[in-house]
Amino acid sequence: MSLLLLLADAPGAAPVADAARGAASPADFMAARQQMAFTLGFHIVLASIGIGLPAITLLAEWRSLRTGDTVYAELARRWMKAAGVLFAVGAVSGTVLSFEMGTLWPGFMDKYGQVFGAAFALEGLAFFIEAIFMGVYLYGWDRLSPRAHFLTGIPVVIAGIASASFVVTVNSWMNQPRGFTLVNGEVTDVDPLAAMFNPATPVQAVHLILASLMVCGFLVASVYAVALLRDRKAGRVDRYNRLGFAVPFSLGAVCAPLQVLVGDWATRFVADNQPIKFAAMEGVEHTQAGQPFKFAIFEIPNALSLMLKFDAHATLRGLDSFPADQRPPAEVVRTGFELMIVMGMFLLALAAWWGLTWFLRRRAAGRVGELNARADLPWKPWFLRAATVAGVAAVIAMEAGWTVTEVGRQPWIVYGVMRVEEAVNPNPGLRFGLYVVLVVYAVLAAATISVLRRMRRRPEPAAPADSPKEKVPA
Amino acid sequence: MSYSDVALGLILLGLSAYLLFGGADFGAGLWHMVSRRRSDKEVVEHAMGPLWEANHVWLIFVMVMTWTAFPPVFAEIMSAHWVPLSLAALGIVARGSTFVFAKAAPDQRWHAPIFGVSSVLTPYCFGAVATTVATGGTSWLSPAGVYGGVLTTALCAYLAAVYLIWDARRLAPDADVMLRFRGYAILSGIAVGLLALPGAVSFGVHSPLMLVSAVAGLVSLVLVVRRNLLAVRVTGALAVVTVLWGAAEMSGLDLDAAAAHDAVLQVVFVALGVGALILVPSMAWLFVLFQRGAPQQVETR
Repeated sequence: MSLLLLLADAPGAAPVADAARGAASPADFMAARQQMAFTLGFHIVLASIGIGLPAITLLAEWRSLRTGDTVYAELARRWMKAAGVLFAVGAVSGTVLSFEMGTLWPGFMDKYGQVFGAAFALEGLAFFIEAIFMGVYLYGWDRLSPRAHFLTGIPVVIAGIASASFVVTVNSWMNQPRGFTLVNGEVTDVDPLAAMFNPATPVQAVHLILASLMVCGFLVASVYAVALLRDRKAGRVDRYNRLGFAVPFSLGAVCAPLQVLVGDWATRFVADNQPIKFAAMEGVEHTQAGQPFKFAIFEIPNALSLMLKFDAHATLRGLDSFPADQRPPAEVVRTGFELMIVMGMFLLALAAWWGLTWFLRRRAAGRVGELNARADLPWKPWFLRAATVAGVAAVIAMEAGWTVTEVGRQPWIVYGVMRVEEAVNPNPGLRFGLYVVLVVYAVLAAATISVLRRMRRRPEPAAPADSPKEKVPA
Repeated sequence: MSYSDVALGLILLGLSAYLLFGGADFGAGLWHMVSRRRSDKEVVEHAMGPLWEANHVWLIFVMVMTWTAFPPVFAEIMSAHWVPLSLAALGIVARGSTFVFAKAAPDQRWHAPIFGVSSVLTPYCFGAVATTVATGGTSWLSPAGVYGGVLTTALCAYLAAVYLIWDARRLAPDADVMLRFRGYAILSGIAVGLLALPGAVSFGVHSPLMLVSAVAGLVSLVLVVRRNLLAVRVTGALAVVTVLWGAAEMSGLDLDAAAAHDAVLQVVFVALGVGALILVPSMAWLFVLFQRGAPQQVETR
């Protein structure tokens, strides 16, 4: 019965004009939101890896070209293969999102598609370039000279960052809609560049790019942290695993302190431009002077006002100063925000451990130039144990932060302009779509992990026995 | 010519490219499933390997252009046909992921069948929706929708077979593989011709494009038999793409009322122009690099 309903969409298919009347049932409406959140939350991890993995692959390939060290070349080949698999899964899970823009949110696309569409056109171009060079990079290893091969990887990284930034401009536009005028409910005076470069774009783009580099760096490093702990137990020292840890972890460790600064910028931006989201993030119930800073069960008097306005007695707006039908689900937003901060601080501490050890040991030994991985870096079991969960922590931080951005904007799909229920597809049965998507994605996630594990087990062909240095351009 | 005409032209161009390149990849998936021989499957895998993701981007291009240039049209088609289009999207997920999974983990046997089935499901759903929209119908399950789905899938299979003869000649170790794909091309070519004619008649298509398609199809048959393998790629593609153009002509879309503001289209055109300067040469390089015989063994370490 329900399957029939799912298939027989057509007879009752409502024209888009009906979308404005909000014909979707509450169950379908919730399902549409959950499907979007779920598929986006899935894609965001793959997109992060899609940006980060080519970057660390190139780092390793660059080291191999510079030093002639075959371990770096081996790592680059390994990561490149994983990048190929994950890039494909990311490309198709991103395609699903483009479909969902129309199948779930036709009211949104109908009215505002042209305002932010140019950003997606640019994103499409950047992605096209990324896909082309990804093809060359992946399959060109045996067809190009080492230097040419390295150079073909650079457009992959640049285009990946560009395409992510263009996508983020659309989300930042949903938070800070600009570049159009509403006259009697009709969109006029469209300025696509003003929409793209809305005030929220710089901070959101930088925050997300750093987050994706951290997610990828810490995730890859945590795989090698497990291997290093195993090596330790077996009394082995494997340079391959050590460098496989050091390259991605260093990338994450460099980004972590920067991300704390950008996070502060983002919080201040939200406080100024979406005060209700800020109130939800910090759990500010009532408007008052000298707001306390609340974190989990702790409360420091006046601290929030002090941190935000540098004035312990500054007045900050609380949730109660906004109409009840415009408030986001504050508990979800606040939990997400606190989770992100806890994970971010954990990663910052690990990054500091790593960076300080590196700096102090090298200074103590008076070493300059080439890194001595064995002597310069911390390989203590407690560090490695903490590092095994760094990848998961980074993913949790990213998803939690994404929740803050998205749930904090509710009930709006376009902040202050269009509510989510005005945008949803009025045709019945969306909830069955959600069930199918959940099943397909569960299988996809399991299969991706299973394939990556298999790839890890399969030994790479051994490096050529003759000296590698002669083959590398100076 | 107004901005919206240009935008419509670009969308049609993108659709044509998606049919000719992306469509052939779906057809290749069909042959991968139908053929039981490992050597046939290897040719398909090698030919698709570096290219399918770039070919897939044409779909993204078409969707983004449609929602930017004609937002109400995009919203209406996507919301009314959300079921077949969601199936197509999930088919794309299954097709793309199983293709790379099968390559990365060849010992997991269940990737290949999913790859084959989703390579058929996706063009079927797209064809059904496109025909429903073009004929002004309501459901993808109507006879017109089913016909469009089957025809599109068959067109993809035909294109793939035509392209793969050449790939088989340069990639496969023995001539049998090439001969088999030649056989597939002849069979599917005849089948598509027989399938397309009644459709054109019953929908009342009186376009010279249909004549062009029929002639190009017949020429292709001759060329396949005479083993003119590169020329047949052109005539085969022409025979297929004219079906799309004929359908577009028949639907008589007048989208001016739905068009976006000129300021939007201007920005998009400039972006596309600049993008094309980077894209076209890189795309050409990609194709040349991988159509140029077997890899030269350049030492990499």
